[in-house]
Amino acid sequence: MSGLRLIPWLRTIFQRSPAEREMDVELRFHLDAFAEDLMRRGVPRDEAIRRARVEFGGIENFKEECRDARGANVFESLWQDLRFALRMLRKSPVFTTVAVLTLALGIGANTAIFSIVDAVLLRSLAYPDPNQLVLMFAVPLKQPDALSGISYRDFTEYHEHNRVFSEMAGNAFHDLTLTGAGEPSIVNTGDVTPEIFPLLKAKPLQGRTLLPEDGKPGAVPVAVLSEDLWRSRFGSSPALIGKSITLDMRSFTVVGILPESFRYPDGAPHQDVWIPIAQDPLFGPRISQPGVPVMSGIGRLKPGVSLAQAQAEMNTLSARLAKEFPETDSGLTIRIEPYRQFVVGNVKSALLILLGAVGLVLLIACANIANLLLSRATSREKEIAVRIALGAGRARVVRQLLTESALLGLLGGFAGLLLAIMAVRSLRSFIPPDVALIGSIEVGGSVLAFALLLSLAAVLAFGLAPAFLAAPSNMQTNIKEGGERTGQRSGQRVRNFLAVVEISLAMVLLVAGGLLMRSFALVTSVNPGFDPKNVIEAEVSLPRFQYSMPKQWTAFSSELLDRLHEQPGLQDSALAAPLPMDRQGQASLEFSIVGDIPTPPGKTTTADYQTVSPDYFRVMRIPLQRGRYFSVQDSPSSPNVTIISEAMARRYFPNQDPIGREMRFGFPPNSNVPREIVGVVGDVRDLALGRKPGPIMYVPFSQAPLWGGEVVVRSSLSTSSVTAGIRQAVYAIDKNLPVTNVESFPNAIGASVAQERFRTFLLSSFSGIALILAAVGIFGVISYSTSQRTHEIGIRMALGAQRRSVLRLILGQGAKLAVLGVGAGAGAAFLLTRLMASLLYGVSATDPLTFSAVAMGLLGVALLACYIPARRATRIDPTVALRYE
Amino acid sequence: MEKQLDLLQGTLDMLILKAVSLGPLHGYGVLLRIQQISQDRLEIQQGSLYPALYRLEHQGWIESEWGESENKRKAKYYHLTSAGKRRLQSETEKWNRMADVIAGILGSRPKEI
Repeated sequence: MSGLRLIPWLRTIFQRSPAEREMDVELRFHLDAFAEDLMRRGVPRDEAIRRARVEFGGIENFKEECRDARGANVFESLWQDLRFALRMLRKSPVFTTVAVLTLALGIGANTAIFSIVDAVLLRSLAYPDPNQLVLMFAVPLKQPDALSGISYRDFTEYHEHNRVFSEMAGNAFHDLTLTGAGEPSIVNTGDVTPEIFPLLKAKPLQGRTLLPEDGKPGAVPVAVLSEDLWRSRFGSSPALIGKSITLDMRSFTVVGILPESFRYPDGAPHQDVWIPIAQDPLFGPRISQPGVPVMSGIGRLKPGVSLAQAQAEMNTLSARLAKEFPETDSGLTIRIEPYRQFVVGNVKSALLILLGAVGLVLLIACANIANLLLSRATSREKEIAVRIALGAGRARVVRQLLTESALLGLLGGFAGLLLAIMAVRSLRSFIPPDVALIGSIEVGGSVLAFALLLSLAAVLAFGLAPAFLAAPSNMQTNIKEGGERTGQRSGQRVRNFLAVVEISLAMVLLVAGGLLMRSFALVTSVNPGFDPKNVIEAEVSLPRFQYSMPKQWTAFSSELLDRLHEQPGLQDSALAAPLPMDRQGQASLEFSIVGDIPTPPGKTTTADYQTVSPDYFRVMRIPLQRGRYFSVQDSPSSPNVTIISEAMARRYFPNQDPIGREMRFGFPPNSNVPREIVGVVGDVRDLALGRKPGPIMYVPFSQAPLWGGEVVVRSSLSTSSVTAGIRQAVYAIDKNLPVTNVESFPNAIGASVAQERFRTFLLSSFSGIALILAAVGIFGVISYSTSQRTHEIGIRMALGAQRRSVLRLILGQGAKLAVLGVGAGAGAAFLLTRLMASLLYGVSATDPLTFSAVAMGLLGVALLACYIPARRATRIDPTVALRYE
Repeated sequence: MEKQLDLLQGTLDMLILKAVSLGPLHGYGVLLRIQQISQDRLEIQQGSLYPALYRLEHQGWIESEWGESENKRKAKYYHLTSAGKRRLQSETEKWNRMADVIAGILGSRPKEI
């Protein structure tokens, strides 16, 4: 209703101008003076007034000429048009409300989605000149997609010798443990070379960023904190600069605070601390090792240098390095990726499809409005004919009608904008973190411009046709016949066409929404290969300064598990790294099978790798297919063993028994250790629910320990008591150890499909809107044509037609349109849905079930929409109908 | 229809200028004055006076101000500007020349050509 309440307000703005008022007074004076003269000559008063008017001539016509003569005041006549348009809109509130709401839905949905697209794809990243930023990875020449890190030595070479980057830096990410400031906690740490701050043009909030000498090995360890950490853990104390904090039991001097606005990389978890990579407990020791990859690079292209030039330069440099250091660098090159593409790459296609979908919604909304306006224009033919007869120019009438459409468009655009602001506000919490990559999403200036453009485009699209159709060709017949017969045929044809278009567009959207919904249902109901119900996960991570030896990791894990097993309700607990659907992804390792022909060089076989405690399979309910599970007997001193997944057995040991065979794999330096296959377990979807399970190799945690892992507990206890139990067990061993990311497994899985859920939700809402709009559209067409046929139906009924046959007549007319629309829509959907094939899981883009279900549903809704006017038609009283007109 | 209107318009402008040159008049007064001088031989559509008045005012040949009519009502009075005076003069000369020429043509006999 906001649109309607707006009208009185607008009216005060568009007051009559003084010139208009003066003209009225002047002409009135003339008429009165003439009438008085006539009366003085004895003409009766009424007759005098009548004659004064007749002899004066068409007063509106002359007023119009006066306005032109006064100097063609465009604005004034525009105001006049606007005032008139407002009056007309207010006179038919139902029409206005439906039209404004329809437009608001179309424009609102578009604006909301555009805000998201704008934030993610269009708005510049948070750094100056983001298009100059590129990321760099080492890749084998033969496998340009196998991205890996660059060794520190190579980075130094590229940094020194390239001529394409104005600045170049290295970065890696690592979780460190912050102690001594409240509860121990994990802090996301960016390990960087100091050039990254000038490269990203980052200004510190307090203190300074890193200096080149901070980056040298052996320098005093320093750290830059994020504003967030500074506020939450150190109470925003300015005195923190120069003080030291403890990361992984090592002291770092705080030199600066980075403002909240500094976020790098976009889309990744927010970094709490930045330290020179040379000071990192994990990567620091590696920078002196020549061939060991430690970090990825980021560079800022010099102005005018193209991507291709930069890539060519890196190819030349890496060829030189390969010659210089053949044992580490042969066969390697550097691959350059535009930073923006890297950040937005994975959500782009989904967003573009959503944008296309809202575009269709807007088209349907426009078709609906066009239909409404057309019906209205037809019923106003008489009024318009009268206006032309009174001297309004044809162009003037068209302009008036256009003004009305424009006003509607603007009102709709305004309401749509309000709707968009509300939608974005409520969607924001619903947007998965990896979609809302860059900055915050809001309805900003460019979005506003977009909405305005949309409503203007919509106005032109739906305003012009009715305006021209409504300027009648033969005004005499229009006045005589009251505009009820002429133009009806062609008008009806256009309206029918629009209704068919609406239904077919709705069909396309509904099919797309239906496919996504089916796919989402399939994804979420798929068996992941384990039973996540009642399982709680928690992360425990050991600071590497304190726990540097693998022996300590093994000891810690067995003590932790012992303590957990002692607690009632926590007996079903195990340790694993990583878990399926881990946020940090899965570790993939190369392997070779002992006794098989070695794979040709350049081709490698890889499988996902998980290190697990003996009870893991039992806790997760991963079934044993063959052989045995791990046991406590699989210790560091006993022979190395492994368990493989069914998919791995099928692919690499076809028609053989893998039990007893040996494979070589492991993290360096154990990559060549032979491990005997002792069991085969069921497949697990470890990457994503929608991804087919791949080969997985499991090793006992005691034989391949890590400095931490995920505790999984299957328990009927509440999450909070399980969490308390885990905390208690961990703190009993070391009270400085953080327990983080506690979550129920079903929730974690839910988070892993957040993107799918988000786009399914959006697209289904759009199809819902489309369905409503299409139903309103066909309802409008059928009820309008029924009202026009009142006379005819009356005659039919007077001649003995049954109510049932009248019902069938009207329904048949609607059904014809619905079938045409559904048919055309199915054809279009058949061509269009393949664009979204990559978003679908388990259903084909032309899934017959979805197509037929949607078609039936849409036909049903369309017929229901026609039933209301059809019922009304059967209630027509023939005697009334025949007297009509 | 259109041509007749044009001719009338041009003529009407001249008549209005002439009428207000004799003293300020409101719109209705202009009509009465023209009817009076023409001794009712001219048929003028009353409403068409006003677009002409507005046009002449817009061109700067006449000016208007609000005043009080003989029956104590608010009315808009028009008077000639100096530019309007010159215009009336030149229009009158032009009209006379044109009338002479046309009269000469229409009055000519076959022998004289």
